[in-house]
Amino acid sequence: MTATSVRPAGAGSEIASRPGGRRPRVAGRPRPAFAAIPFLIPALVLVGALLLVPFVSTVYQSLTRDNGFTSTFIGFENYSRLLQDPTFLQSLLNTVMWTVGTLILPVGLGLLIAVFTNSMRGGRWLRLAFVLPYAMSGAATAVIWGFILRSDGALNQAIAFLGFTPPASGWLLEWPTNTLVMILANTWQATGVTVILFLVGLQSIPPETVEAGSLDGATGMRLFWHIVLPQLRPVTIVVIGMSIANSLRVFDLIWLLTKGGPGGVSETLAVTMYRQTFIISDYGYGAAVAVVLAIIVVASSYAYLRRQLKGV
Amino acid sequence: MVGRVFRNTFVIVFAALWLIPIYLMVVNAFVPAADYTGAPTWLPSGFGFFDNLSIAWNESGLGLGLANSLLYATVSAGLAVFSAALAGFAVVVMPTRRPTVWFWLIYLGTLLPLQIFLAPLFKAYVGAKVYDTSLGMILIYSAICVPFAFFIVRNFLTTLPPEITEAAQLDGAGWARLFFRIHFPLIKSSLFAAFIFQFTWVWNDLLFGITLTTSPDRRPVMAALAEISAGFSSLGPPVVLAAAIVASLPTVVLFLACQRFFVSSLRAVG
Repeated sequence: MTATSVRPAGAGSEIASRPGGRRPRVAGRPRPAFAAIPFLIPALVLVGALLLVPFVSTVYQSLTRDNGFTSTFIGFENYSRLLQDPTFLQSLLNTVMWTVGTLILPVGLGLLIAVFTNSMRGGRWLRLAFVLPYAMSGAATAVIWGFILRSDGALNQAIAFLGFTPPASGWLLEWPTNTLVMILANTWQATGVTVILFLVGLQSIPPETVEAGSLDGATGMRLFWHIVLPQLRPVTIVVIGMSIANSLRVFDLIWLLTKGGPGGVSETLAVTMYRQTFIISDYGYGAAVAVVLAIIVVASSYAYLRRQLKGV
Repeated sequence: MVGRVFRNTFVIVFAALWLIPIYLMVVNAFVPAADYTGAPTWLPSGFGFFDNLSIAWNESGLGLGLANSLLYATVSAGLAVFSAALAGFAVVVMPTRRPTVWFWLIYLGTLLPLQIFLAPLFKAYVGAKVYDTSLGMILIYSAICVPFAFFIVRNFLTTLPPEITEAAQLDGAGWARLFFRIHFPLIKSSLFAAFIFQFTWVWNDLLFGITLTTSPDRRPVMAALAEISAGFSSLGPPVVLAAAIVASLPTVVLFLACQRFFVSSLRAVG
Protein backbone atom coordinates (compact mmCIF):
# COMPACT_ATOMS: atom_id res chain seq x y z
CA MET A 1 0.00 0.00 0.00
CA THR A 2 2.70 2.45 0.96
CA ALA A 3 4.71 1.90 -2.16
CA THR A 4 1.89 2.33 -4.64
CA SER A 5 0.45 5.46 -3.08
CA VAL A 6 3.82 7.10 -2.75
CA ARG A 7 5.14 6.29 -6.18
CA PRO A 8 3.70 9.10 -8.32
CA ALA A 9 4.21 11.92 -5.84
CA GLY A 10 7.75 10.89 -4.94
CA ALA A 11 8.72 10.43 -8.55
CA GLY A 12 7.37 13.75 -9.72
CA SER A 13 8.86 15.91 -7.03
CA GLU A 14 12.16 14.11 -7.37
CA ILE A 15 12.74 15.24 -10.93
CA ALA A 16 11.58 18.77 -10.29
CA SER A 17 13.46 19.48 -7.11
CA ARG A 18 16.86 18.01 -7.67
CA PRO A 19 18.64 19.43 -10.66
CA GLY A 20 22.12 18.22 -9.89
CA GLY A 21 21.68 15.08 -7.87
CA ARG A 22 23.96 14.16 -5.01
CA ARG A 23 26.07 11.66 -6.82
CA PRO A 24 27.73 11.76 -10.20
CA ARG A 25 25.30 10.32 -12.65
CA VAL A 26 25.89 8.92 -16.07
CA ALA A 27 23.76 10.36 -18.84
CA GLY A 28 21.04 8.22 -20.34
CA ARG A 29 20.32 6.33 -17.12
CA PRO A 30 16.70 6.07 -15.94
CA ARG A 31 15.87 8.75 -13.39
CA PRO A 32 17.02 7.51 -9.97
CA ALA A 33 13.68 8.25 -8.36
CA PHE A 34 11.98 5.77 -10.64
CA ALA A 35 14.89 3.42 -10.46
CA ALA A 36 14.74 3.06 -6.67
CA ILE A 37 11.06 2.15 -6.57
CA PRO A 38 11.35 -1.49 -7.70
CA PHE A 39 14.11 -2.01 -5.13
CA LEU A 40 12.00 -0.62 -2.31
CA ILE A 41 8.71 -2.25 -3.26
CA PRO A 42 9.13 -5.77 -1.82
CA ALA A 43 10.21 -4.53 1.60
CA LEU A 44 7.67 -1.71 1.72
CA VAL A 45 4.78 -3.89 0.61
CA LEU A 46 5.57 -6.55 3.22
CA VAL A 47 6.13 -4.11 6.05
CA GLY A 48 3.36 -1.76 4.99
CA ALA A 49 0.61 -4.29 4.46
CA LEU A 50 1.41 -6.65 7.32
CA LEU A 51 2.86 -4.36 9.99
CA LEU A 52 2.08 -0.69 9.43
CA VAL A 53 -1.56 -1.08 8.44
CA PRO A 54 -2.29 -3.41 11.38
CA PHE A 55 -0.47 -0.95 13.67
CA VAL A 56 -2.63 1.98 12.60
CA SER A 57 -5.69 -0.22 12.72
CA THR A 58 -4.93 -1.25 16.33
CA VAL A 59 -4.51 2.37 17.35
CA TYR A 60 -7.92 3.15 15.85
CA GLN A 61 -9.47 0.02 17.32
CA SER A 62 -8.38 1.12 20.79
CA LEU A 63 -10.86 3.99 20.42
CA THR A 64 -13.76 1.68 19.68
CA ARG A 65 -15.97 -0.82 21.42
CA ASP A 66 -15.54 -3.96 19.39
CA ASN A 67 -16.63 -7.50 20.19
CA GLY A 68 -15.36 -8.92 16.91
CA PHE A 69 -18.67 -8.40 15.13
CA THR A 70 -19.81 -4.83 15.72
CA SER A 71 -17.66 -1.81 16.37
CA THR A 72 -18.60 1.64 17.68
CA PHE A 73 -16.38 4.66 18.21
CA ILE A 74 -16.14 5.55 21.91
CA GLY A 75 -13.12 7.85 22.10
CA PHE A 76 -10.81 7.27 25.05
CA GLU A 77 -13.28 5.23 27.10
CA ASN A 78 -11.15 2.07 26.88
CA TYR A 79 -8.20 3.96 28.32
CA SER A 80 -10.20 5.33 31.25
CA ARG A 81 -11.51 1.81 31.84
CA LEU A 82 -7.90 0.60 31.99
CA LEU A 83 -7.11 2.96 34.84
CA GLN A 84 -9.94 1.56 36.94
CA ASP A 85 -9.31 -2.09 36.14
CA PRO A 86 -7.50 -3.87 39.00
CA THR A 87 -6.36 -6.66 36.65
CA PHE A 88 -4.74 -4.11 34.38
CA LEU A 89 -3.03 -2.37 37.30
CA GLN A 90 -1.79 -5.74 38.55
CA SER A 91 -0.52 -6.45 35.06
CA LEU A 92 1.20 -3.07 34.98
CA LEU A 93 2.82 -3.80 38.35
CA ASN A 94 4.05 -7.17 37.07
CA THR A 95 5.41 -5.50 33.96
CA VAL A 96 7.39 -3.09 36.14
CA MET A 97 8.68 -6.05 38.19
CA TRP A 98 9.78 -7.79 35.00
CA THR A 99 11.56 -4.68 33.80
CA VAL A 100 13.40 -4.08 37.07
CA GLY A 101 14.21 -7.78 37.41
CA THR A 102 15.63 -7.84 33.92
CA LEU A 103 17.76 -4.79 34.61
CA ILE A 104 19.32 -6.41 37.65
CA LEU A 105 19.56 -10.06 36.68
CA PRO A 106 20.38 -10.72 33.02
CA VAL A 107 22.22 -7.42 32.62
CA GLY A 108 24.20 -7.58 35.88
CA LEU A 109 24.91 -11.28 35.68
CA GLY A 110 25.78 -11.00 31.98
CA LEU A 111 28.34 -8.29 32.73
CA LEU A 112 29.95 -10.34 35.51
CA ILE A 113 30.06 -13.53 33.45
CA ALA A 114 31.51 -11.71 30.43
CA VAL A 115 34.20 -9.97 32.48
CA PHE A 116 35.09 -13.09 34.48
CA THR A 117 35.23 -15.52 31.57
CA ASN A 118 37.02 -13.10 29.26
CA SER A 119 40.35 -13.54 31.05
CA MET A 120 39.75 -17.01 32.45
CA ARG A 121 41.33 -20.22 31.21
CA GLY A 122 38.57 -22.39 29.76
CA GLY A 123 36.23 -19.40 29.93
CA ARG A 124 35.15 -20.01 26.37
CA TRP A 125 33.72 -23.38 27.33
CA LEU A 126 32.14 -22.30 30.58
CA ARG A 127 30.47 -19.49 28.69
CA LEU A 128 28.64 -22.00 26.53
CA ALA A 129 26.50 -22.94 29.55
CA PHE A 130 25.05 -19.43 29.56
CA VAL A 131 24.86 -18.95 25.84
CA LEU A 132 23.11 -22.24 24.99
CA PRO A 133 19.68 -21.38 26.44
CA TYR A 134 19.69 -18.21 24.36
CA ALA A 135 19.23 -20.32 21.21
CA MET A 136 16.20 -22.01 22.75
CA SER A 137 12.67 -20.75 22.35
CA GLY A 138 10.48 -19.29 25.04
CA ALA A 139 8.20 -22.29 24.65
CA ALA A 140 11.01 -24.79 25.27
CA THR A 141 12.20 -22.71 28.23
CA ALA A 142 8.68 -22.84 29.62
CA VAL A 143 8.58 -26.63 29.25
CA ILE A 144 11.87 -27.08 31.10
CA TRP A 145 10.95 -24.69 33.90
CA GLY A 146 7.46 -26.08 34.16
CA PHE A 147 9.07 -29.42 34.85
CA ILE A 148 11.25 -27.87 37.54
CA LEU A 149 8.64 -25.66 39.19
CA ARG A 150 5.58 -27.94 39.30
CA SER A 151 4.46 -28.98 42.74
CA ASP A 152 5.91 -32.44 42.07
CA GLY A 153 8.79 -30.88 40.15
CA ALA A 154 12.54 -31.08 40.45
CA LEU A 155 12.92 -28.00 42.64
CA ASN A 156 10.56 -29.20 45.36
CA GLN A 157 12.20 -32.60 45.18
CA ALA A 158 15.62 -31.03 45.71
CA ILE A 159 14.31 -28.94 48.61
CA ALA A 160 12.81 -32.01 50.27
CA PHE A 161 16.05 -33.93 49.68
CA LEU A 162 17.98 -31.22 51.49
CA GLY A 163 15.65 -31.63 54.46
CA PHE A 164 13.49 -28.54 54.07
CA THR A 165 9.74 -28.35 53.54
CA PRO A 166 8.86 -27.31 49.99
CA PRO A 167 5.82 -25.05 49.44
CA ALA A 168 2.93 -27.44 48.93
CA SER A 169 1.30 -25.43 46.16
CA GLY A 170 4.43 -25.33 44.03
CA TRP A 171 5.82 -22.07 42.78
CA LEU A 172 3.37 -20.91 40.18
CA LEU A 173 0.11 -20.48 42.07
CA GLU A 174 0.80 -17.53 44.33
CA TRP A 175 1.76 -13.96 43.63
CA PRO A 176 4.44 -12.59 43.86
CA THR A 177 6.26 -15.94 43.94
CA ASN A 178 5.06 -16.92 40.49
CA THR A 179 6.19 -13.67 38.89
CA LEU A 180 9.57 -13.84 40.63
CA VAL A 181 10.31 -17.44 39.60
CA MET A 182 9.29 -16.67 36.03
CA ILE A 183 11.68 -13.72 36.02
CA LEU A 184 14.37 -16.17 37.15
CA ALA A 185 13.40 -18.62 34.40
CA ASN A 186 13.62 -15.79 31.89
CA THR A 187 17.02 -14.83 33.30
CA TRP A 188 18.18 -18.35 32.57
CA GLN A 189 17.25 -17.83 28.94
CA ALA A 190 18.11 -14.15 28.47
CA THR A 191 21.56 -13.94 30.06
CA GLY A 192 23.28 -15.52 27.04
CA VAL A 193 22.71 -12.58 24.75
CA THR A 194 23.92 -10.04 27.31
CA VAL A 195 27.08 -12.12 27.84
CA ILE A 196 27.74 -12.13 24.10
CA LEU A 197 27.20 -8.39 23.77
CA PHE A 198 29.31 -7.47 26.79
CA LEU A 199 32.06 -9.73 25.47
CA VAL A 200 32.02 -7.94 22.13
CA GLY A 201 32.29 -4.69 24.07
CA LEU A 202 35.16 -5.96 26.21
CA GLN A 203 37.10 -7.20 23.24
CA SER A 204 36.87 -3.86 21.51
CA ILE A 205 38.56 -2.08 24.43
CA PRO A 206 42.09 -1.15 23.36
CA PRO A 207 44.49 -3.19 25.56
CA GLU A 208 46.78 -0.15 25.87
CA THR A 209 44.30 1.63 28.12
CA VAL A 210 44.22 -1.31 30.49
CA GLU A 211 48.01 -1.62 30.42
CA ALA A 212 48.39 2.07 31.13
CA GLY A 213 46.01 1.73 34.04
CA SER A 214 47.90 -1.17 35.56
CA LEU A 215 51.22 0.67 35.10
CA ASP A 216 49.72 3.44 37.19
CA GLY A 217 49.16 0.84 39.88
CA ALA A 218 45.46 0.11 39.40
CA THR A 219 44.54 -3.51 40.00
CA GLY A 220 41.50 -5.75 40.21
CA MET A 221 38.36 -3.89 41.17
CA ARG A 222 39.86 -0.43 40.68
CA LEU A 223 41.13 -1.27 37.23
CA PHE A 224 37.72 -2.59 36.30
CA TRP A 225 35.80 0.27 37.86
CA HIS A 226 37.86 3.16 36.50
CA ILE A 227 39.28 1.85 33.24
CA VAL A 228 37.14 -0.96 31.87
CA LEU A 229 33.62 -0.04 32.94
CA PRO A 230 33.61 3.51 31.50
CA GLN A 231 34.62 2.08 28.14
CA LEU A 232 31.73 -0.40 28.30
CA ARG A 233 29.21 2.41 28.55
CA PRO A 234 28.06 2.33 24.91
CA VAL A 235 27.52 -1.42 24.88
CA THR A 236 25.83 -1.24 28.28
CA ILE A 237 23.25 1.17 26.91
CA VAL A 238 22.49 -1.24 24.09
CA VAL A 239 22.28 -4.24 26.42
CA ILE A 240 19.99 -2.44 28.84
CA GLY A 241 17.72 -1.16 26.08
CA MET A 242 17.52 -4.53 24.42
CA SER A 243 16.91 -6.38 27.68
CA ILE A 244 14.11 -4.06 28.72
CA ALA A 245 12.46 -4.28 25.33
CA ASN A 246 12.74 -8.07 25.39
CA SER A 247 11.39 -8.37 28.92
CA LEU A 248 8.39 -6.24 28.00
CA ARG A 249 7.67 -8.62 25.13
CA VAL A 250 7.90 -11.86 27.11
CA PHE A 251 4.79 -13.84 26.30
CA ASP A 252 5.57 -17.50 25.60
CA LEU A 253 7.06 -18.22 29.00
CA ILE A 254 4.18 -16.73 30.99
CA TRP A 255 1.52 -18.08 28.69
CA LEU A 256 2.76 -21.65 28.95
CA LEU A 257 3.68 -21.58 32.64
CA THR A 258 0.69 -19.86 34.24
CA LYS A 259 -1.52 -18.53 31.41
CA GLY A 260 -1.15 -15.28 33.34
CA GLY A 261 -3.05 -16.77 36.22
CA PRO A 262 -4.31 -17.79 38.55
CA GLY A 263 -6.95 -15.12 38.02
CA GLY A 264 -4.62 -12.85 36.08
CA VAL A 265 -2.21 -12.20 38.97
CA SER A 266 0.91 -13.10 36.97
CA GLU A 267 -0.06 -11.33 33.75
CA THR A 268 2.12 -8.75 32.11
CA LEU A 269 0.79 -6.34 29.50
CA ALA A 270 1.84 -8.66 26.68
CA VAL A 271 -0.34 -11.41 28.15
CA THR A 272 -3.22 -9.13 29.15
CA MET A 273 -3.52 -7.93 25.58
CA TYR A 274 -3.70 -11.48 24.27
CA ARG A 275 -6.29 -12.59 26.82
CA GLN A 276 -8.50 -9.52 26.40
CA THR A 277 -8.42 -9.84 22.63
CA PHE A 278 -8.45 -13.53 21.85
CA ILE A 279 -9.95 -15.14 24.94
CA ILE A 280 -12.47 -12.49 26.04
CA SER A 281 -12.96 -11.03 22.51
CA ASP A 282 -12.94 -7.47 23.83
CA TYR A 283 -11.03 -6.18 20.82
CA GLY A 284 -11.15 -2.49 21.61
CA TYR A 285 -9.92 -2.98 25.18
CA GLY A 286 -7.21 -5.40 24.04
CA ALA A 287 -6.09 -2.82 21.48
CA ALA A 288 -5.84 -0.17 24.20
CA VAL A 289 -3.57 -2.50 26.20
CA ALA A 290 -1.46 -3.09 23.09
CA VAL A 291 -1.11 0.67 22.55
CA VAL A 292 -0.05 1.25 26.16
CA LEU A 293 2.50 -1.56 25.81
CA ALA A 294 3.82 -0.09 22.55
CA ILE A 295 4.23 3.33 24.15
CA ILE A 296 6.15 1.83 27.08
CA VAL A 297 8.39 -0.22 24.78
CA VAL A 298 9.25 2.68 22.51
CA ALA A 299 9.73 5.13 25.39
CA SER A 300 11.95 2.78 27.36
CA SER A 301 14.15 1.99 24.39
CA TYR A 302 14.64 5.66 23.57
CA ALA A 303 18.19 5.94 24.89
CA TYR A 304 19.17 2.74 23.19
CA LEU A 305 17.56 3.73 19.91
CA ARG A 306 19.27 7.07 19.89
CA ARG A 307 22.60 5.31 20.03
CA GLN A 308 21.67 2.50 17.71
CA LEU A 309 20.40 4.84 15.04
CA LYS A 310 23.17 7.36 15.21
CA GLY A 311 23.71 8.78 11.77
CA VAL A 312 20.44 7.63 10.26
CA MET B 1 45.01 -14.77 44.94
CA VAL B 2 41.61 -14.29 46.56
CA GLY B 3 40.15 -12.44 43.58
CA ARG B 4 40.93 -15.21 41.15
CA VAL B 5 39.55 -17.92 43.42
CA PHE B 6 36.36 -15.95 43.88
CA ARG B 7 36.08 -15.34 40.15
CA ASN B 8 36.56 -18.96 39.21
CA THR B 9 34.18 -20.21 41.88
CA PHE B 10 31.53 -17.71 40.84
CA VAL B 11 31.70 -18.68 37.18
CA ILE B 12 31.77 -22.42 37.86
CA VAL B 13 28.88 -22.32 40.33
CA PHE B 14 26.71 -20.31 37.96
CA ALA B 15 27.64 -22.41 34.94
CA ALA B 16 26.61 -25.49 36.92
CA LEU B 17 23.32 -23.82 37.90
CA TRP B 18 22.71 -22.98 34.26
CA LEU B 19 23.39 -26.53 33.13
CA ILE B 20 21.12 -28.23 35.69
CA PRO B 21 17.87 -27.50 33.81
CA ILE B 22 19.35 -28.83 30.56
CA TYR B 23 20.73 -31.86 32.34
CA LEU B 24 17.37 -32.59 33.96
CA MET B 25 15.60 -32.16 30.66
CA VAL B 26 17.86 -34.64 28.87
CA VAL B 27 17.95 -37.24 31.65
CA ASN B 28 14.19 -37.23 32.14
CA ALA B 29 13.46 -37.24 28.43
CA PHE B 30 15.24 -40.62 28.32
CA VAL B 31 13.07 -42.19 31.02
CA PRO B 32 10.51 -44.44 29.29
CA ALA B 33 7.16 -42.68 29.74
CA ALA B 34 5.54 -45.78 31.24
CA ASP B 35 8.27 -46.11 33.87
CA TYR B 36 8.01 -42.49 35.02
CA THR B 37 7.37 -42.58 38.75
CA GLY B 38 5.86 -39.13 39.10
CA ALA B 39 9.08 -37.70 40.49
CA PRO B 40 11.94 -36.29 38.41
CA THR B 41 14.99 -38.51 37.97
CA TRP B 42 18.41 -37.03 38.70
CA LEU B 43 20.40 -39.95 37.33
CA PRO B 44 20.20 -41.40 33.81
CA SER B 45 17.86 -44.35 33.70
CA GLY B 46 16.52 -46.17 30.67
CA PHE B 47 16.62 -45.34 27.01
CA GLY B 48 13.07 -44.42 26.11
CA PHE B 49 13.88 -41.22 24.23
CA PHE B 50 12.73 -42.40 20.83
CA ASP B 51 9.61 -44.07 22.18
CA ASN B 52 8.72 -40.86 24.02
CA LEU B 53 9.36 -38.91 20.89
CA SER B 54 7.14 -41.13 18.79
CA ILE B 55 4.31 -40.56 21.27
CA ALA B 56 4.71 -36.79 20.87
CA TRP B 57 5.05 -37.28 17.14
CA ASN B 58 1.81 -39.23 16.82
CA GLU B 59 -0.34 -37.58 19.48
CA SER B 60 0.32 -33.95 18.66
CA GLY B 61 1.75 -33.77 15.18
CA LEU B 62 5.22 -32.72 16.31
CA GLY B 63 6.64 -33.98 12.99
CA LEU B 64 4.22 -31.83 11.01
CA GLY B 65 5.13 -28.85 13.17
CA LEU B 66 8.83 -29.38 12.48
CA ALA B 67 8.22 -29.63 8.74
CA ASN B 68 6.00 -26.52 8.76
CA SER B 69 8.51 -24.49 10.73
CA LEU B 70 11.32 -25.58 8.43
CA LEU B 71 9.28 -24.31 5.48
CA TYR B 72 8.19 -21.06 7.17
CA ALA B 73 11.60 -20.24 8.59
CA THR B 74 13.53 -20.97 5.39
CA VAL B 75 11.21 -19.24 2.95
CA SER B 76 10.36 -16.27 5.16
CA ALA B 77 13.92 -15.57 6.27
CA GLY B 78 15.03 -15.89 2.62
CA LEU B 79 12.33 -13.57 1.31
CA ALA B 80 12.89 -11.07 4.10
CA VAL B 81 16.65 -10.95 3.65
CA PHE B 82 16.36 -10.56 -0.11
CA SER B 83 13.79 -7.75 0.14
CA ALA B 84 15.89 -6.14 2.85
CA ALA B 85 18.99 -6.31 0.63
CA LEU B 86 17.14 -4.61 -2.23
CA ALA B 87 15.74 -1.92 0.06
CA GLY B 88 19.09 -1.37 1.74
CA PHE B 89 20.67 -0.96 -1.67
CA ALA B 90 18.01 1.58 -2.64
CA VAL B 91 18.45 3.60 0.53
CA VAL B 92 22.25 3.54 0.79
CA VAL B 93 23.65 3.17 -2.72
CA MET B 94 21.01 4.70 -4.99
CA PRO B 95 20.52 8.46 -4.82
CA THR B 96 17.05 8.11 -3.30
CA ARG B 97 15.33 11.18 -1.99
CA ARG B 98 14.61 11.20 1.75
CA PRO B 99 16.38 7.95 2.63
CA THR B 100 15.58 8.64 6.30
CA VAL B 101 11.84 8.46 5.68
CA TRP B 102 12.20 5.13 3.90
CA PHE B 103 14.45 3.89 6.65
CA TRP B 104 11.94 4.69 9.38
CA LEU B 105 8.99 3.32 7.44
CA ILE B 106 10.71 -0.03 7.19
CA TYR B 107 12.44 0.02 10.57
CA LEU B 108 9.38 0.93 12.62
CA GLY B 109 8.29 -2.70 12.52
CA THR B 110 10.95 -3.93 14.95
CA LEU B 111 10.32 -1.25 17.54
CA LEU B 112 6.73 -2.14 18.20
CA PRO B 113 5.68 -5.12 20.29
CA LEU B 114 4.13 -7.92 18.25
CA GLN B 115 0.88 -7.54 20.19
CA ILE B 116 0.07 -4.37 18.32
CA PHE B 117 -0.23 -6.26 15.02
CA LEU B 118 -2.12 -9.32 16.20
CA ALA B 119 -5.82 -8.49 16.25
CA PRO B 120 -6.04 -6.70 12.88
CA LEU B 121 -3.92 -9.43 11.30
CA PHE B 122 -6.21 -12.09 12.70
CA LYS B 123 -9.32 -10.35 11.35
CA ALA B 124 -7.75 -9.60 7.99
CA TYR B 125 -6.47 -13.17 7.68
CA VAL B 126 -9.90 -14.61 8.38
CA GLY B 127 -11.45 -12.16 5.90
CA ALA B 128 -8.90 -12.86 3.17
CA LYS B 129 -9.06 -16.62 3.76
CA VAL B 130 -5.36 -16.89 4.55
CA TYR B 131 -6.02 -17.77 8.19
CA ASP B 132 -4.47 -21.16 8.94
CA THR B 133 -2.60 -21.35 5.62
CA SER B 134 1.10 -21.70 4.83
CA LEU B 135 0.92 -18.62 2.64
CA GLY B 136 -0.39 -16.52 5.53
CA MET B 137 2.35 -17.68 7.86
CA ILE B 138 5.09 -17.11 5.29
CA LEU B 139 3.79 -13.60 4.62
CA ILE B 140 3.69 -12.45 8.24
CA TYR B 141 7.00 -14.05 9.12
CA SER B 142 8.63 -12.43 6.07
CA ALA B 143 7.24 -9.04 7.00
CA ILE B 144 8.29 -9.28 10.64
CA CYS B 145 11.83 -10.25 9.60
CA VAL B 146 12.34 -7.46 7.05
CA PRO B 147 13.11 -4.56 9.42
CA PHE B 148 15.98 -6.12 11.34
CA ALA B 149 17.50 -7.71 8.24
CA PHE B 150 17.22 -4.32 6.56
CA PHE B 151 19.02 -2.73 9.49
CA ILE B 152 21.90 -5.21 9.28
CA VAL B 153 22.24 -4.89 5.50
CA ARG B 154 22.03 -1.13 5.62
CA ASN B 155 24.76 -0.93 8.25
CA PHE B 156 27.00 -3.12 6.18
CA LEU B 157 26.38 -1.25 2.94
CA THR B 158 27.32 2.07 4.52
CA THR B 159 30.80 0.67 5.19
CA LEU B 160 31.46 0.06 1.49
CA PRO B 161 33.36 2.85 -0.25
CA PRO B 162 31.16 4.78 -2.75
CA GLU B 163 33.96 4.49 -5.33
CA ILE B 164 32.83 0.92 -5.98
CA THR B 165 29.47 2.18 -7.22
CA GLU B 166 30.95 5.03 -9.20
CA ALA B 167 33.53 2.86 -10.96
CA ALA B 168 30.92 0.32 -11.98
CA GLN B 169 28.60 3.05 -13.23
CA LEU B 170 31.31 4.52 -15.39
CA ASP B 171 31.63 1.09 -16.94
CA GLY B 172 27.97 1.42 -17.88
CA ALA B 173 26.38 -0.95 -15.36
CA GLY B 174 22.68 -0.29 -14.63
CA TRP B 175 21.24 -0.44 -11.10
CA ALA B 176 20.05 -4.03 -11.36
CA ARG B 177 23.36 -5.17 -12.74
CA LEU B 178 25.18 -3.16 -10.12
CA PHE B 179 23.16 -4.83 -7.38
CA PHE B 180 23.47 -8.41 -8.58
CA ARG B 181 27.04 -8.27 -9.87
CA ILE B 182 28.77 -5.95 -7.42
CA HIS B 183 26.89 -5.34 -4.17
CA PHE B 184 25.09 -8.62 -3.69
CA PRO B 185 28.33 -10.66 -3.69
CA LEU B 186 29.96 -8.12 -1.38
CA ILE B 187 27.22 -8.25 1.25
CA LYS B 188 26.67 -12.02 1.08
CA SER B 189 28.13 -12.70 4.49
CA SER B 190 25.99 -10.09 6.21
CA LEU B 191 22.97 -11.45 4.35
CA PHE B 192 23.81 -14.91 5.62
CA ALA B 193 24.15 -13.60 9.15
CA ALA B 194 20.75 -11.93 8.87
CA PHE B 195 19.26 -15.11 7.41
CA ILE B 196 20.48 -17.28 10.29
CA PHE B 197 19.28 -14.76 12.82
CA GLN B 198 15.80 -14.49 11.30
CA PHE B 199 15.54 -18.23 10.71
CA THR B 200 16.03 -18.71 14.44
CA TRP B 201 13.49 -16.02 15.21
CA VAL B 202 10.80 -17.61 13.05
CA TRP B 203 11.58 -21.09 14.34
CA ASN B 204 11.19 -19.96 17.96
CA ASP B 205 8.02 -17.93 17.48
CA LEU B 206 4.91 -19.01 19.33
CA LEU B 207 2.67 -15.93 19.28
CA PHE B 208 1.89 -15.77 15.55
CA GLY B 209 1.71 -19.55 15.46
CA ILE B 210 -1.12 -19.77 17.99
CA THR B 211 -2.88 -16.64 16.71
CA LEU B 212 -2.90 -17.26 12.97
CA THR B 213 -3.02 -21.05 12.67
CA THR B 214 -5.07 -23.74 14.31
CA SER B 215 -4.77 -27.06 12.47
CA PRO B 216 -1.88 -29.44 13.19
CA ASP B 217 -0.83 -29.60 9.54
CA ARG B 218 -0.37 -25.82 9.34
CA ARG B 219 0.86 -24.76 12.74
CA PRO B 220 4.57 -24.18 13.44
CA VAL B 221 6.57 -26.35 15.79
CA MET B 222 6.34 -24.11 18.87
CA ALA B 223 2.55 -24.11 18.66
CA ALA B 224 2.70 -27.91 18.56
CA LEU B 225 5.06 -27.90 21.53
CA ALA B 226 2.68 -25.60 23.40
CA GLU B 227 -0.09 -28.14 22.94
CA ILE B 228 2.17 -31.00 23.99
CA SER B 229 3.27 -29.08 27.08
CA ALA B 230 -0.36 -28.86 28.19
CA GLY B 231 -0.19 -32.67 28.39
CA PHE B 232 2.32 -32.79 31.24
CA SER B 233 -0.01 -35.03 33.23
CA SER B 234 -1.71 -36.96 30.44
CA LEU B 235 1.31 -37.69 28.22
CA GLY B 236 3.84 -37.69 31.04
CA PRO B 237 6.83 -35.36 31.52
CA PRO B 238 9.30 -37.55 29.56
CA VAL B 239 7.22 -37.18 26.39
CA VAL B 240 6.93 -33.40 26.80
CA LEU B 241 10.65 -33.02 27.48
CA ALA B 242 11.61 -35.19 24.52
CA ALA B 243 9.43 -33.01 22.31
CA ALA B 244 11.06 -29.85 23.71
CA ILE B 245 14.53 -31.23 22.96
CA VAL B 246 13.67 -32.05 19.36
CA ALA B 247 11.95 -28.69 18.84
CA SER B 248 15.02 -26.86 20.21
CA LEU B 249 17.73 -28.92 18.56
CA PRO B 250 17.72 -27.25 15.10
CA THR B 251 18.25 -23.72 16.40
CA VAL B 252 20.74 -24.79 19.08
CA VAL B 253 22.83 -26.66 16.50
CA LEU B 254 22.54 -23.76 14.08
CA PHE B 255 23.61 -21.39 16.82
CA LEU B 256 26.66 -23.47 17.78
CA ALA B 257 27.67 -23.95 14.16
CA CYS B 258 27.22 -20.30 13.20
CA GLN B 259 28.06 -18.50 16.44
CA ARG B 260 30.27 -16.12 14.50
CA PHE B 261 27.31 -14.98 12.40
CA PHE B 262 25.06 -14.52 15.40
CA VAL B 263 27.68 -12.36 17.01
CA SER B 264 28.02 -10.26 13.88
CA SER B 265 24.23 -9.74 13.75
CA LEU B 266 24.22 -8.76 17.39
CA ARG B 267 27.19 -6.52 16.88
CA ALA B 268 25.28 -4.65 14.20
CA VAL B 269 22.76 -3.84 16.90
CA GLY B 270 25.43 -2.37 19.14
